[in-house]
Amino acid sequence: MGTFISARDLTKKFGDLTAVDGISFDIQEGECFGFLGPNGAGKTTTVRMIHCVSPLTSGTLTVGGMPADIDNRAIKQMTGVIPQEITLDPDLTVWENLIIFARFFDIPRREARPRIDELLKFVELEAKRKSKIDELSTGMKRRLLVARALLNRPKLIVADEPTTGLDPQARHMIWQRLRLLRSEGATLILTTQYMEEAEQLCDRIVIMHQGRILREGLPQKLIDEEIGREVVEIRIGRGEDERLVRELAPFACGHERVGDTLFFYCRDGHDIMRKLVEFDLPNTWTRPATLEDVFLKLTGRGLIE
Amino acid sequence: MNLSYRVYHVFVRNLYSYKRFVVSTFLVSLIEPLFYLITFGIGMGAYMGYFGGKPYLYFLVPGVLVSSVMMSSTFECLYGTFVKMVHEKLYDSLVATPVSAEDAVAGDIAWGAFRGLISGVLMMLVSMAMGILPVSVPSVLLILVLMVFVGVLFASLAMIVTSVSPSFDFFNYYTELVITPMLFFSGVFFPLDKFPPWMKTVAQFMPLTHAVEISRAVFSGEYHARYVWNFLVLFVLEVVAFTIGVTMMKKRLIK
Repeated sequence: MGTFISARDLTKKFGDLTAVDGISFDIQEGECFGFLGPNGAGKTTTVRMIHCVSPLTSGTLTVGGMPADIDNRAIKQMTGVIPQEITLDPDLTVWENLIIFARFFDIPRREARPRIDELLKFVELEAKRKSKIDELSTGMKRRLLVARALLNRPKLIVADEPTTGLDPQARHMIWQRLRLLRSEGATLILTTQYMEEAEQLCDRIVIMHQGRILREGLPQKLIDEEIGREVVEIRIGRGEDERLVRELAPFACGHERVGDTLFFYCRDGHDIMRKLVEFDLPNTWTRPATLEDVFLKLTGRGLIE
Repeated sequence: MNLSYRVYHVFVRNLYSYKRFVVSTFLVSLIEPLFYLITFGIGMGAYMGYFGGKPYLYFLVPGVLVSSVMMSSTFECLYGTFVKMVHEKLYDSLVATPVSAEDAVAGDIAWGAFRGLISGVLMMLVSMAMGILPVSVPSVLLILVLMVFVGVLFASLAMIVTSVSPSFDFFNYYTELVITPMLFFSGVFFPLDKFPPWMKTVAQFMPLTHAVEISRAVFSGEYHARYVWNFLVLFVLEVVAFTIGVTMMKKRLIK
């Protein structure tokens, strides 16, 4: 296992807007690396530079030892992309979509045919091979995008928000397939806004915000460092804040007021809960800390448009 | 310019999708030029008598052939390409494969030229059925070559328009202000020699004028040294339009 992708001071500007602001990271061969962040954080822009469809403004970026560049066909040849938007060819059937895409990778027909059969089975779309794209559900379209991305047996798979808009069944199916691919040795890059998705799939993540990397690490470790183990949520008016913080802060490693809720982050929620029973506060919950808490703490709880 | 044999892959993609539309496009690409042949050729032609010793239709047909190529390849690379680029987002998935943006755009230009060729061939078959025949078999083959050449030219010009177009409506400027006037000022329907000198000069700046001149020469087998000039004008324009079209489309596709 070595470094597969390496970025140094990677920057992307669109006119006056700096979408990616001098970030550096290394992705190891065979790992699943996640880019997390709210809308406009620069995740998609970053992965688009990795799979060579968007030129860098400055900095360096290498993939498999080669400089990433929009004219680098060798990187594209070994990369499979599951795009955020559904870019299937609506003029063609399911099978035609795949056979034409295989052609773009110079895969000979006699190799492509069995490969397509295998992939349609892999994403459970065998029965739909003759269907037109607009006859498919969103979940089926996304599964077809997964199959399409795997035609060239990619060493690198880039999944840009692969489960957006899917029902739980379809989402879990795609997660399973992605885990399977990883276990077969592919390097996987994932961007997502779903923290559960990152926890399910990623070995390492970075949290991005406004074009910068805020934190990097293992999901569980980030939760431990930033939040603790448990979160206590109290739905209560602001009037009580001063008293509650005075009483409860000694048991917590941090607290935060957002809208109608007062949050306490702690290693162990028992002491706080015991206190709260004394105070007789009904609208109170304790739950394990999640990556979502880390994410919200770092990127802020306000809406990001 | 990062061009490769993968242009052909893009062409094949278009061929696959064309299967579904083939009948309707045959009809559409036939109707307009057929309309010109009937109204101008038979209706008006009856009053025109002979042109240079031949019936008017012999004058009209070569021009209509190249204009139908112009129409089809123009529309394919305006509307067809715009739909693929903006609505279907096909270019987005293409450029993520070893197919480069240049390959993708050139593949669509080749496709536009092919659509022009289909229209031109259909028109030629119709006019042959009406008894208007090119002078020889080699002249038929040369006309086919000319159609491809003219198709690439107008497909490339249309690509330049598409590369800057915010929406479908924008195409009206090009079709109404450039393509339609060209149809009437390029000597397709009548000779240009009765035009005042300035209009003749303007006509020299219209690529269709040169294409019509060559087409008429090839059709009748009556060559003249000045056709070398017509060809050179078209050739230079074609190379320039192709280069600009591909470059500007790439600029729009790659951000």
